[in-house]
Parts: sequence; structure tokens; C-alpha cells
Amino acid sequence: MAPVSVMNFLSPVAFWFGLALPAVVVFYLLKRKRVVRVVPSTLLWQKFLAETQASAPFQRLRHNGLLLLQLLLLLLAVLALARPYFSGMAGEAALQVVILDASASMQCVDESPNRFEKAKAGIRQLIDGLKTGQGPKNQQMLLMVAGASSEVRQSATSEKSALRRALDSARVTDSPTRLTDALRVAEERTRANTSSEVHLFSDGAIPNLDEFGSRDLKLIFHRVGQRSNNAGIVSLDVKSNPDDPSRRAIFASLANHSGALISTTMDLLFDDRLVESKPLTLDTNVTPIVFSASQPQDGVFRVRLNHADDLAADNEACVVSLLPKPVRILLVSRGNRFLEKALNAAASAVELSTAADLTGSGPAMDLTVLDDVTPSVWPAGNVLAIHVAQTNWFPGGMGRLEAPTIVDWRNTHPLLRFTTFENVQVAESFSIKTPTWGVSLVDSPQSPLIVAGEYGRQRIVWIGFETLNSTWPLRISFPIFIANAVDWLNPASARAEQFKVHAGDAFHLPILEPVTHARIRPPSGVEFTVPIDPKAREFVFGGTGKQGIYQVTLGTNGMAFAANLLDADESNTRPRDQIAFGRRGEIAASTLQRANLEYWRWFAIAGLGVMLSEWWWYHRRTA
Amino acid sequence: MDGSLAGELDAGRLAGAVGATGLAERRIPWMSALITPELLRRLEQIQLLAARRSKSSTKGERRSRARGLSVEFADHRNYVSGDDLRYLDWNLFGRLDRLFLKLYEEERELPVRIFLDASESMNFGEPTKFKFARQIAAAVGYVALCGFDRVAVNVFPAAPARITTGAVTADRIPQAAVEGSLRSIRGKKSAMTFFQNLSSLTPGGVADFNGSLKRGALEARQAGVAIVLSDFLDPAGYEPGLASLIGRGFQVNAVQILAPEELNPTTFGDLRLVDSETGGLEEVTFGKYRLPAYQRMVASFVQRLRDYASGRGIRFFSVSSSTDLGELLLKQLRAQEVWG
Repeated sequence: MAPVSVMNFLSPVAFWFGLALPAVVVFYLLKRKRVVRVVPSTLLWQKFLAETQASAPFQRLRHNGLLLLQLLLLLLAVLALARPYFSGMAGEAALQVVILDASASMQCVDESPNRFEKAKAGIRQLIDGLKTGQGPKNQQMLLMVAGASSEVRQSATSEKSALRRALDSARVTDSPTRLTDALRVAEERTRANTSSEVHLFSDGAIPNLDEFGSRDLKLIFHRVGQRSNNAGIVSLDVKSNPDDPSRRAIFASLANHSGALISTTMDLLFDDRLVESKPLTLDTNVTPIVFSASQPQDGVFRVRLNHADDLAADNEACVVSLLPKPVRILLVSRGNRFLEKALNAAASAVELSTAADLTGSGPAMDLTVLDDVTPSVWPAGNVLAIHVAQTNWFPGGMGRLEAPTIVDWRNTHPLLRFTTFENVQVAESFSIKTPTWGVSLVDSPQSPLIVAGEYGRQRIVWIGFETLNSTWPLRISFPIFIANAVDWLNPASARAEQFKVHAGDAFHLPILEPVTHARIRPPSGVEFTVPIDPKAREFVFGGTGKQGIYQVTLGTNGMAFAANLLDADESNTRPRDQIAFGRRGEIAASTLQRANLEYWRWFAIAGLGVMLSEWWWYHRRTA
Repeated sequence: MDGSLAGELDAGRLAGAVGATGLAERRIPWMSALITPELLRRLEQIQLLAARRSKSSTKGERRSRARGLSVEFADHRNYVSGDDLRYLDWNLFGRLDRLFLKLYEEERELPVRIFLDASESMNFGEPTKFKFARQIAAAVGYVALCGFDRVAVNVFPAAPARITTGAVTADRIPQAAVEGSLRSIRGKKSAMTFFQNLSSLTPGGVADFNGSLKRGALEARQAGVAIVLSDFLDPAGYEPGLASLIGRGFQVNAVQILAPEELNPTTFGDLRLVDSETGGLEEVTFGKYRLPAYQRMVASFVQRLRDYASGRGIRFFSVSSSTDLGELLLKQLRAQEVWG
């Protein structure tokens, strides 16, 4: 039963029946018809009645057990009709693991003051109802806050003040919900303890938790949130404008989860200057919108949806846009016109140099293409290697494969976007085992044919066969693949990806020169310093809970990155009644459990018992 | 007793009637209803036991502190002129040559006072409490008369109070006259009249228990044995009355008589109870399950009375009106040394 103890009533109007209580008393005060008997003396009876009856009307009621029973019966009936329930839906578990969803959707103001505070109030009730003391009755609570990452705010304790302090210090973030870690911790903690349960306080805006589908997790879902009135930006990107290479195209997608058409405007700002404002009508589908703007220097594009809804966090997003630079490609080849043409067409601005071999000297290149050439000096930058035997990359050894058949390709990878290998035949290829640093993109039954990945800090796309010994250059997929590869291998585009993180995710930055600290200026404007191990080769910053532009200074290098929500699941603020665990598992919201915790049946049973005892009492009195 | 039968009885015949059981049963049928001849015969062998010597001034058969004429030698004293020469101790004169007079114990009577509750509340039970009390009074009185003791019966409430409540004597003898004749009776030959008068009493009215006992204590010239026959259900209590008897020097024997329905009520349900004497009302819902509680309360009431009595040297008996009279008279009273 509930440790929390405020009892509420679903039908308080039933208390009007309580007016019948005085009526019962009045009936008792009325004279009953009695049989008259003459007795020798009433002295003995007076003495006998002295203990059970008094002469004054209300005192007479005092020792009347039958009346008390009837009043009790009536009271129980009224209570049962009022349908009492306890609002704290906890059980008697000795260990209660509480997970508080601190994702962006919890900022919705459909609850007062918002969903997050409402959830905190619910947890506070649970804490209040925690039974503390010695022995098996002692209950402990572990408090976790789950946003993009999960954090144990308070380890298992029965100290209510510590739990309240931990709860008060919890803050909502702009990040998406990632509950897996929190649930894993909860599962770990509850596995050993048979008397345990997990309380999840959330609005249910959670991606499917397939991983927990088959697990027996005793989870109680406390739903917060009442409605879905939200429209938000779910994606944002900046690209070169395909129609006008001198301008930039800003792609945004908007989702409307309010269930009604929304007519509003959307602003585009560059470095906080308004560039354009577009009127738009949002239906219930995802609406794409494209801005075109000139970009005089590196800067920040910011889009803003001018619509007041429950969730403000997804009405604005920003992206750091660096000025496009020509891609400098060095082609080391004995001559491959297909490849040259494809490389030239791969990007809007390409500076292609060709060489027969690679030596140490030469200008720095964005990427190097090795076309069936084993260079004297291996390039340090990103590499597209075609039919190159580099045994360092493949420690499992390399062999040869005659006429491998392409049986599968991973078209979800950015490198294989818009490509197909259905009609590509290969005469001969290296045979390798898929290395740990990369993934196989195109497979034959015996060996991967194309592998892509990061080897150290070097991005590598390795093609195991000579393109000219295949039909691939004649297919449309070839130039598309080369364009994708140039885009993927171009350090500028990789950096551009680096400068976009989801709020709550860690920001990674390679350290090029030894530094001892990093200065960070978050969107709040309060700058702070983070110490860095001088030997570290990568700077990782996880404090991206609030969306906006983060300025990072590492030694002499300064840069900015944008943290955005941009999560369709979070923007859909519709409170879920159930949380799906895989295809079969579902956890119903505790609002349904609350109904199960109604107590009217117990009151009715007690009333029945009282009625029987009243009957027995009456017959004992008068038999 | 009807009037013609009363007319036939004279003092001489009464003694014969008492002595001849068969005649009594045949000729005086009302007497066997009061007390059976068999019981009478056995009572004749009993004598009231007095703890103290009699203080009465009338000669009787009880030892007293007074010196007088009897066969029990008590003491000698010097002869003074004028003494009856018949009581000189000639043997002592022969040995001592001095004249001494022999003294004997004077035997006096024992006053026995019976307080008989004849209030309306005694008119309940089967047999009624009053009939039972009257039988005890008859037995005690008969034993006293056989022992040549003086018997006085105090009936309360007095006749006027009983008559105004509607009681009518069956044989038309005025109750006041009967009560007057019961005030002082002596001698076995008066037994029949005593029985006759007792039989003619009828209960009724409201008793003043304490007042009656006080009056009885005051009007007694000498203290003796007091027998109190009542239900002791007086709203004013019983302590002052009993205390006045003790104070007067009576040796008190108290017999509480309760009706069977007072001990074990048989009427259940929602009741309005009317007090037979005062007319007071009590409303009660009574069921069998409350009977033990009621019985406990009655036992507690009786126990309080018993404790009060034993604390003051009163012999106390509590009986139901349905108790066997012989059992009470020949066993209980004898065991308690009321008589022997």
C-alpha cells in the first residue's frame, strides 16, 4: 500500500450522504415502543443500567454500541461511495529506484509550473512516504536523473533530507531522453534485491526501449503531462546552395504535434542579425523549409519559430557555418580518366592535383586518392585508397580473389547514399578480413570489397579492387560514390559535423598542440576553464545540457560549436499512457495503477462486516 | 381463616391443636399453608440461641444476670434480717456457725422482635416473597413461643399505608388490630393466634425500611433478638435501620428474600419497567447475553449487604422465595447458630 499518505477521493460528492449520520442519531433519540412490565423494585435495574445508560439524551448515546456500529457502517458506506485512493502509488518495496526524466520535453508548461517540477513534486511525495527505521520495514531510495546521460543523484539511502537535497538540485536540460543507461543501472541495483521497484517519472516521450523488451523489470511509470501543444524544429543543416554556389542553403524541418494547423513565421538570423523571415503553415506532418543566404564570413546561422507553445526549447536552433573552401585533392595514379572526372565533379570547388607517386614534400592536401599505386610515403591525411595493399591496415593479411560477386552493401552509410551495386561486376580483388577500425560497405561472400573507417585520426575509404578492372566506372553509382567519399573524407565537412552536437552529448575535439586547459563560454555567457591533461590528444566536453553556441578556446585555437535539441521524439510532447519495451513489453502509466489503488472495496468489505456484527449484536441484546 | 373457625378456637384448644398434627391438618387448613405440622413438630425441639444474657425484667426461661428464684445456684451472701429463711444454707451454718443465704439465678424471658417487610415489592415471586417471609416469621415466632420468650412482630409499612394502596384483608379483620395483637405475644398457647394474625396480613404500600427499624428499636423496652425479613430493596438503603438495631443492643439476624425473577429475569426485549412501590420508570433493552452481567450485579449487591452485616455481627441470609422452607430453617439457620 501506499506509503504516501494523502488520501484523495474520486467522488467527493458522495460525502453529502454523510448528512444521514445525524439522522441515525435522531432515530436513536426517538422513543422506542417498549413492553411495560411491573417489577418489585427498579433499584436493581437502576444499578444495572447505571453502567450502560445515562439519563441525558446524548449521554444515553454514549454507551450505545449499536448506534456506534450503525454510524460506523454509514461512515464506511459514505467513504466507499467517495472512492478513496492514495495518490502516492508506491509499493512496500525495500528499495525504490527513482528515475527522473530531465529531458527537454519535461520543460513543457502544460503542468504547473512545468512537467519537471510536477514530477519532482511526485517524487517528493514518495520521499515523504518512505518508511524509515530499523529492521525489514526500512525503505531506501536511489535517485537518478536521466537526460542525454544518466546520473545517480543520490545513492540508495533512507535519509529523507539527503534525498530531498538531491532532488532539489536536479535541473531540467535541453537534451533528448536516453533512458537505457538509467534503466540498466536500475536493473543492476534491483536485480540483487527482490523487494525493489523502479519508479519512472516521465512524460513518456521516450524512444522505444527494445533492449529491455524481454527483461523482467518491475517498473512503475508515473506519467506527467496533460496535452500535446507543440511545434518545433527537428533538424537543421547548412550546405552549399546547389543552385548558387556563392550562397548557403539552410535546411530545416519542422514538426507540428499540436494536432491543428499552425500559421506562423520563421526567422533566419546570421550572427544575431535577421536575414529573412518566412511565413509558413505547419500541418501535422513534418514540414521542410529552406533558406538561402549569403555568408560573408564564418558565423552562426540561427532559426527561430515564432510560435508560443508548451515547449520553448525546440523553437530555436543554431548551426556554426564555416565558409566553404575548395577541396584540395591529390590523385596519385598512373592515369584513370573516370576517376579524374568523378573527382572533379565531386564538389562545387575542387582543386585536383595529380601525381604518379607520393613523396614527402608537397603542399598539404585535404585528401589523397591512391589509385592502384603503393606510394613511397604514406599520406598523413584522409585517404581514398583504390586497390592498394597496405598491410598495416589489415593485420589479418591480404589475399586475392577472382571475380568476387557483390552480394550486399550497406546503403544506410553516408558513403553509399543514392548508390547501388546491382549491376557492378568485378574481375579481381584483394581479399581481407574486416578490420576493427572500419566497417564493410560492400560485401562479396568471401571478403569485404569496400571498407571505410577511421584509422587513428585518419579517415580511410579502401576499395579492394581496381575500378578499371570492373564495370563500376560505367555505372552512375560510381561518380555518386566518389562525390560521397570526397564529402566524407573532406576534413572541413568532418569538422562541420563536429561542430554540431545534440544537447547533452559530449563535444569531441582533437588536440593539435599540447594545452593545459580549455576556456569555455557556454550560452549563459559565464566563462569557465577546464583543465586538460597535457598528454591528452582529444578534448571531451560533456556539459552541453543547455542548447546554444559554446565558444571553446584551446591554447591559441578558438572555435565554436552548437548544441541543439533537434529531436523529433522530444518535440512530440504528447504524454504517453504507456512506454513500449520492444514489440511486446509495455508499461502502463501509473494513472491506471492509481485506479487499482482505490480503497472503496476495503471500506465496503468493512461495512459488510460491521453490518453483520450489528445484526449479531442486536439479536444478542434482544434474544 | 374464616370467622366461624376463629370463633371455635379458644386458648385451651389451640395448645391441643398445635400438639396434635392430624387435628391441625384437618381442622385448620390455612395453617398447613403457613407452616406444615411436620415442620412445627421439629421446630418444637429447637430453641433460639442468645449470645447475651437476657436483660428482660419478666421471668422466663433464659439465664440472666439477675438473682432470683430458680434451680441454678449462683452465690451466697450474708443473711440480713428480713430475708426468707427458706433460702438459708443450713449446711454452712452447721460448719461455720454463721448465717448465709443461698442465691439463685433469675431466669428471664428473651424478647424476640421480628421485622416483617409487607410492602408491595414483597408481593412478587412464586411463592411471593411476603408469603415466604411470613412463613419464616411464623417459624421463628413459634420457636420463641415454645421457649417462653416474648415475640413482637413489627410489620412495615403500617396498616394505613398498606390499606391506602388498595390492599384489602381477606377475612375483613382490620389490619391495624392485627398488627396491634402481634406487638407482644408470649407463651406457646398464643401460637395459634399468632399464626392466625400472621396469616391475615396482606402486603402493599411503600415501605420505609430504615424508619421502621429505628422505630422498632426505640419502642423495644429491652433489646433481644431481632429478625429482619425483607428484600432490602429500599432506595434509601438499609444501613441506618440495621445500625439503629445494633446500637440498641439487638442481636440481629437478617434474611433477604428475593423473588426468582429478580435473580434470573425471564422477560427480555425493549422493556419499560415500573416500580411496584414508587411507580418509577426505567427503560431497558435486555437480552439473554446481558443476563450474566445482571446476575453479577445482583451478586455484588447481595455481597455488599453480606459484608456490611458480617462487619457488624449480623447473621445474614439471602434466599430466593422459592427456597425450601425446611432447608432454610433446619439447616441454614441452625448452621449459623440462630437457633439450636
